Amino acid sequence: MTGLEALADRLYYLAAFLLLGIGTYTLIGSQNLVKKVIGMNVFQTGIFLFFIAAAFITGASPPLLTAPAPYVSPLPHVLILTAIVVGVSLTAVALGLIVRIYDEYGTLNEETLREVQADE
Amino acid sequence: MITPVEAALLVFILCCAVATALLRDVLAAIIAFGAYSLGIAIIWVFLRAPDVGLTEASVGAGVMTVLLLLTIAKTTRPPDDRTFEQVNVPALAVSVLLVVSLSATLFALPAVGASDSAVATDEVTNYYLENAYEESHVKNAVTAVLASYRGFDTFGEAVVVYSAGIGLMIVLRREVLG
Repeated sequence: MTGLEALADRLYYLAAFLLLGIGTYTLIGSQNLVKKVIGMNVFQTGIFLFFIAAAFITGASPPLLTAPAPYVSPLPHVLILTAIVVGVSLTAVALGLIVRIYDEYGTLNEETLREVQADE
Repeated sequence: MITPVEAALLVFILCCAVATALLRDVLAAIIAFGAYSLGIAIIWVFLRAPDVGLTEASVGAGVMTVLLLLTIAKTTRPPDDRTFEQVNVPALAVSVLLVVSLSATLFALPAVGASDSAVATDEVTNYYLENAYEESHVKNAVTAVLASYRGFDTFGEAVVVYSAGIGLMIVLRREVLG
């Protein structure tokens, strides 16, 4: 197998790694708190993509037992379903805190927030 | 082997993710994130995970977008004097380092779709697939595992959602009570 074919077989994993990178960049690099939350979500989806791609088998059916065998593994799907719901709860609490921060300090910019806090 | 449609979808979601990272206007970033969630929901269907796809489309693209829009409606959008943010070099260095170190493991992973991978041949996977219908009388193996075999996980998940609700009520108390 040539290197290029091996890479084509693993494109999903590569995409997952790139999503982790983009998520990290948004989380660290963006000044706006709402965008940091979006970056956290992109990072999470990268991990989801890694799990679901690991469960996939070429030519297999979804894990619905009415379809013909073989099936893809249901276990990573279950873990990711739980993770999606937990991720949304996390996002909701983070955004609630952001609304409170804005009420309190009148800004969502990380730098400005630091200056306002230093002045107090 | 990956089909051209799947490859195109991967390129689409990566472009949307880069757009969310670089767009300065938060509303534009939220719209790009909505498109991203929709693209990834379609990818779940290609990867034979319809349950995850449905959840992602309703929760990821639906609820999440509404929450983000509510947040910027209650707070502020930064003045959009520029379309794109300036690239933050230290953050870029950290994320490139992360991607490079993760990619070093790329060829040690089994190919996507290999039927002899550790996940596919795992004892737990095959136990669930063989016994889910007899033991739980549910034909969707994902539902059987979620609600029956790993029911305590799902109970824990419900506790997390409940705590998040309580946490939000405490944090936003002033607004709820006026």
